[in-house]
Order: sequence, then structure tokens, then C-alpha cells
Amino acid sequence: MTEEELGAIVGRPLPGGEYVIEPYVDWLLNDVVGGVVDGHWAHPLFAYMATARGKGVTWDEVFEICGATAADGPMFGEHETELLRPLEVGEKVKVSGRFTSAVRKDGRRTGVFDVIGFEVELRGADGALAARTRNSIVFPRRSAA
Amino acid sequence: MTVRPGDAIPSWEIADVSREKMKTMAALLADSNPIHFDLESVRKLGMGNRPINQGPNNLAYLMNMLAVWTGGHEHLRKITVRFRSNVLGDDHVIARGTVTDVRENDGRVLADCEVELLVEGRDTALSGTATVDVTHMTERP
Repeated sequence: MTEEELGAIVGRPLPGGEYVIEPYVDWLLNDVVGGVVDGHWAHPLFAYMATARGKGVTWDEVFEICGATAADGPMFGEHETELLRPLEVGEKVKVSGRFTSAVRKDGRRTGVFDVIGFEVELRGADGALAARTRNSIVFPRRSAA
Repeated sequence: MTVRPGDAIPSWEIADVSREKMKTMAALLADSNPIHFDLESVRKLGMGNRPINQGPNNLAYLMNMLAVWTGGHEHLRKITVRFRSNVLGDDHVIARGTVTDVRENDGRVLADCEVELLVEGRDTALSGTATVDVTHMTERP
């Protein structure tokens, strides 16, 4: 991927979709991470879950947009969850998002890699913003070295 | 009780990160990456003999620590983390944090914190910052 192609990713929207915080998934997720089931408030990791499941493309498709495959070894760089209100068990959120940044770096130890960021918004039934996640993925670029 | 800068957040830990629960999480996330559940793939990739915990699980451990401290997940406002290294199956992980600032915003009392997830005997898996609403934990004059 050239730097020009990399720059063209910024601003590209994600298809988005909807995600329902099903009570049984809240139970399972809490069981996985050692959380306590509240029954009313959902575990805040559901902001990430809704991002991952509701963004409207698979991870492989995200990698393809970014000129890579899973075999290239992409890694999560940073993640931010911002909650304007707590998420509720049973609620449906509308998911929308877009790519927000794409930067090429050349590390002495790591070689050439790209850091590509995307932001996702979650809106409740009233249309108001409930949560936002900001995410970055690190793509090793052996071919660009 | 009043929250002050410099306060240590009670640590939260898992003595033995479950390999089996990684399989459940792979299904919940629809994450097909075999490094989370297929040891043969982990070995072929030269990543050792233990499955790699999903990054979101590690994030959730920090969220759990903050929920136990504040009395519930509904008090979390923001968390920002950098993924620094992997957590492996059977690892002992410890979430810990420190209050760095306490401020008022729109009539609420917010605590800014530094947070990190340590893998005992190895390194820091996650580090970052968080903001929680501690209005209910603050004595008012």
C-alpha cells in the first residue's frame, strides 16, 4: 500500500448496523471476564462488543480496506471507550463509524508499519449518542521496508 | 469517604486466566483468529504453547477493577488504553490504578485515574487512563 493509498482511507465510512445487548450475552461476557451481572446496566465492554459486531464489516474486510490480511499480523494499538451514559442490558444501539487516521511510521526495531484509526458511535433508540469508541490497529508493512 | 489524588484503587486480579473462556469470547466476538483457541495454530505461528487472551478481555479486567471500586459499571465515563503485550492462558493478571485528579464537571465529581494491567512475573499488558464518576463517593460540605 502506497502512502497515497493509505491517506485515502481517512474519512471512509464503515457500513455500520445495529447491535442488541442480549441478556444472555451479558451473562456470558461477565462470566468470561470475571464481572458481576447487574441485570440492568450492561458491562461497559459492550461498547467494544457493539463496535466489533455492529460495524458492518468483518475484521478481514477491515484488514482488506487497510491493504492487509490477518496473516500480516495486525495488532490492536489503542482503544478508547467513552460512555455518555451507561449501556443497558436488552437495549438496541445503532452503530456507525468511519476511518479517522492513517499514519506510516518507520521504527528502528520494528521496521515500517502503519497505524490506522477508526471511530465508532453508538446511539440509543432516541437517536442520542450513548457511547463512542476510538480504535487503532497497527499493520506491519514488510513490503514497504 | 472522599476520593483524593494519589489514592490507590483497590487492585483486582485473576489468578489463572482461563483457556476455556477464551473460546466463549471468540464466539461472542465472532473472532476467528485461532491464536485464542487452537494450540496447534499458536505453536505453528511460533507463539508458544499457550493461547493468547483476547485484548478486550484484558480491557474488561480494568473495567471490573473500576466497577468494584466505584460500586458499579454505571460510573465509568471513559477509559483509554494502549495494548502493550499479550496475556496468555494460565497467566496471573493484576489490575491496579491510582487517582491522578479529582474535578467537578456539570455538578458531578469526576476522578481521573492511571490504570494498568500487570502480568505477574512478566510485564505490563495494558496501560492507560480512566475517568469515573465518584460523586456518590464524595463527602459534600
